[in-house]
Amino acid sequence: MVKPLSIKNLVKNFGGLTATDDISFDLEEGQSTGLIGPNGAGKTTIFSQIMGEYRQTSGIIELYGSDISKLSTPARIRLGISRTYQVPRPFSDFSVLENIRVGLMPDSIWKMITQGPNREREIELALSVGFSEDDLQQTPDTLSMGDLRKLEMARTMATNPKIMLLDEVFAGLTVGEINQIAKLIQNMRKENMTFLIVSHDLKALEPLVDDAIAINYGKIIAQGAFSEVISDSAVRTSYLGTE
Amino acid sequence: MLEILIQGLLLSGLYALIAVGFTLIFSVGRVLNLAYGSYIMIAGYVYFYFSQLLGLPPIVGLLLAGILGSCMGLLKYNLIVKPLKGDHIPVEISTLILAVILQSAIILYFGNSAKILLPIFQGVIHIGNATVTYNVLAATLVSWLILIVLFVFIRKTHVGRAMQAVSMDSKGASISGVNINKINMFTWGISGFLGAIAGVFFASYTQLSPSMWVAPLIIAIAIVIVGGIGSIIGTLVVAHIIGFMEIISVALISPQLRGVFTMLLVIIVLIIRPKGLFGREEL
Amino acid sequence: MGLGLKWYHFALWIGFIIFMLLMPEMVSKGTLRTIIFANFLAIFAISWDILSGRTGYISFGHPFLIGIGAYTTAILTKRFDVGVEYAIPLAIAMTMIGGTIMFLPALRIKGSYFALVSLAFMELMYQLVQVIRPDLTGGTRGMSGLVTLTRGAVNGYYLSFTIMIIVALSMWLLMRTRLGTALSAIALNEESVKGSGLSPTKLKLFAFMTSAFVAGLGGAFYVHYLGSIAPRALFDINFVFTIIVATLIGGASTIVGPMFGAFFLTFLLEYLRPYLPGAERYLIYGVIALLLYMYQPKGLYQIMINQFNRFKKDEDDG
Repeated sequence: MVKPLSIKNLVKNFGGLTATDDISFDLEEGQSTGLIGPNGAGKTTIFSQIMGEYRQTSGIIELYGSDISKLSTPARIRLGISRTYQVPRPFSDFSVLENIRVGLMPDSIWKMITQGPNREREIELALSVGFSEDDLQQTPDTLSMGDLRKLEMARTMATNPKIMLLDEVFAGLTVGEINQIAKLIQNMRKENMTFLIVSHDLKALEPLVDDAIAINYGKIIAQGAFSEVISDSAVRTSYLGTE
Repeated sequence: MLEILIQGLLLSGLYALIAVGFTLIFSVGRVLNLAYGSYIMIAGYVYFYFSQLLGLPPIVGLLLAGILGSCMGLLKYNLIVKPLKGDHIPVEISTLILAVILQSAIILYFGNSAKILLPIFQGVIHIGNATVTYNVLAATLVSWLILIVLFVFIRKTHVGRAMQAVSMDSKGASISGVNINKINMFTWGISGFLGAIAGVFFASYTQLSPSMWVAPLIIAIAIVIVGGIGSIIGTLVVAHIIGFMEIISVALISPQLRGVFTMLLVIIVLIIRPKGLFGREEL
Repeated sequence: MGLGLKWYHFALWIGFIIFMLLMPEMVSKGTLRTIIFANFLAIFAISWDILSGRTGYISFGHPFLIGIGAYTTAILTKRFDVGVEYAIPLAIAMTMIGGTIMFLPALRIKGSYFALVSLAFMELMYQLVQVIRPDLTGGTRGMSGLVTLTRGAVNGYYLSFTIMIIVALSMWLLMRTRLGTALSAIALNEESVKGSGLSPTKLKLFAFMTSAFVAGLGGAFYVHYLGSIAPRALFDINFVFTIIVATLIGGASTIVGPMFGAFFLTFLLEYLRPYLPGAERYLIYGVIALLLYMYQPKGLYQIMINQFNRFKKDEDDG
């Protein structure tokens, strides 16, 4: 069966530094995978290469069996893969709905002009990530960190992805907000979304993922079921700092 | 040949003098002061007023112009740059508006017609075939002197090093206890002073007119872009590239093409190497 | 298309158009000539707004585009006896090519650097038209005795107003579509536009081409209104200043803002004329522009919207 995302021998060098060192893994359809490792292990760099924000030094990235290594970021997104960022990057002067509107747009100037915004879908997305009716006209400067993450989730979902890469979705959130986002991810898992999730908060991550990949110094050190990976001794040494 | 060399050196010296104050602001404050040309224009008029109309000694006129330039720099920083929080585009737009305001103010007081500024230093010297006025020679020497003093100042003094730190990483500098506001004020003051000194020499090189701020501004922009942010050496080298390019095109190709190569150089460098040729190693 | 048009939009536009059509009945020929300039300034300001106001790629060299349009039609009609019905469309096409050239640096640089490149483009153009083939361009002196399209102030007024209002209305509508939102998004965060699956390159190219279209149209008709062209007045930083200030005073990124900014400024200058006859009027004009810009960077448009909202709120509360 064709894998949604398949990464083969991915290498990224920055000058003399090897940020990603021969990484290979596959994501399974409808599965959720955690990507864990200490700070600077290369998690975000992998995301950036999958999305085409950095070009890999060597290696292949396949989306549903076809090589996407030469495509631009927007082209990759239109093929059904999307990511969120550690630091949310909203459009600062736009309301919540307008932010989502940008994500919903087709990449065609003609269609942008001739077709109006799909307000129902905008509102549906905003409400589905946990905004209330009153929040819809708020601008990002009045939103909390949790709301900004929700907004980023909504805008990412608006591009209609089949695979979502989430980067530190829980950082800076209150317990209530973590639960809200977790519920959202669980709902999308039921609808067969494929996830790759980076998080430091292993406790919050555990119920959301089936498998995990642990990396350190740009190399995979353990891979498999989440519970096995976090009890692996190499992972514990590197990541948790305990023997 | 000798003439090209001499004329090139002299023009380049003047250009370096014009650009150095602009480089300082661009490096330390990270904003482009599009009213920089106004220092040059106003200094020319101030010198004209004190030395030529009131008959004060040239050196007094020069100093007064410098002090006024310095005050203008401080006012600009406090009234425009600070309220706009140093946002690049708003500062550029506001300083552009300010430049036109100052131009109108000059027209209001001195009228629209061009005025001839008497040379600051009278007399000429013959080197081979070339005739060099003391005035232009003085501009070049002053330019070299200022650049050397500035270079040493930035390398050796406490304030200079703080300027360097702010130019590289203003947040980092602020964390290590540098008073960013003071350094900025200082830089704007110095920049205004240097711009004004350059202005007096530039005005005596060409002539005084209310629209004389545009040409030096464009030269300063060209030099800073091609030289790159934060590089005094870059400013000096590129001032010579542009100065010589102009002199050579005047002498060998066509006087009218004088500015064309400069603009082409600016466009090409900005597209190929936006950091400039010497960007970002040192101040 | 989801333009979100309300009844008062129609009312305001129709009211404005009727008012402007009656203008020749109400004012003197002299004032009418002033309004003709305001119409052209409005076209140029709208062109600037489409590019710089929207996408944040600030052009300090907009006369580069206007000049291509103006020179192309001037040369074609004067030197090659081409009819204006061909010369003007060709001029617009040339300007759009110029817009594409100006777009190329925007692939790599933005912010201050782009602003400076655009300024360099204008300076380059200024130098080139004087040097390259002065037999065609008229060199430093420019050209005069060009074909004029209208006779008399009234006809000139109607023609310039018609062009201006068509440009303003169509651009206003265009920017109310999702395209307008996408172009604004580029100014706010180009990376996030990419991250939303949209190609900023395509959007920027569209903005440059549209802006160039309007600039070329305005430049071509302007030159056939004046009947002459002079490089020093055209590729002039004061001209850049006037375009930008009209846009900013009115309110950038709104299309109607620049239009009203252009009228406001032109009338301001006109009313200052009895008190300050010369170029000193720019002093007052500049000071007003600077203070307004520092106080409200979004311009008169935003001040009016705020007033309107406050009024509405009072009404709702009361």
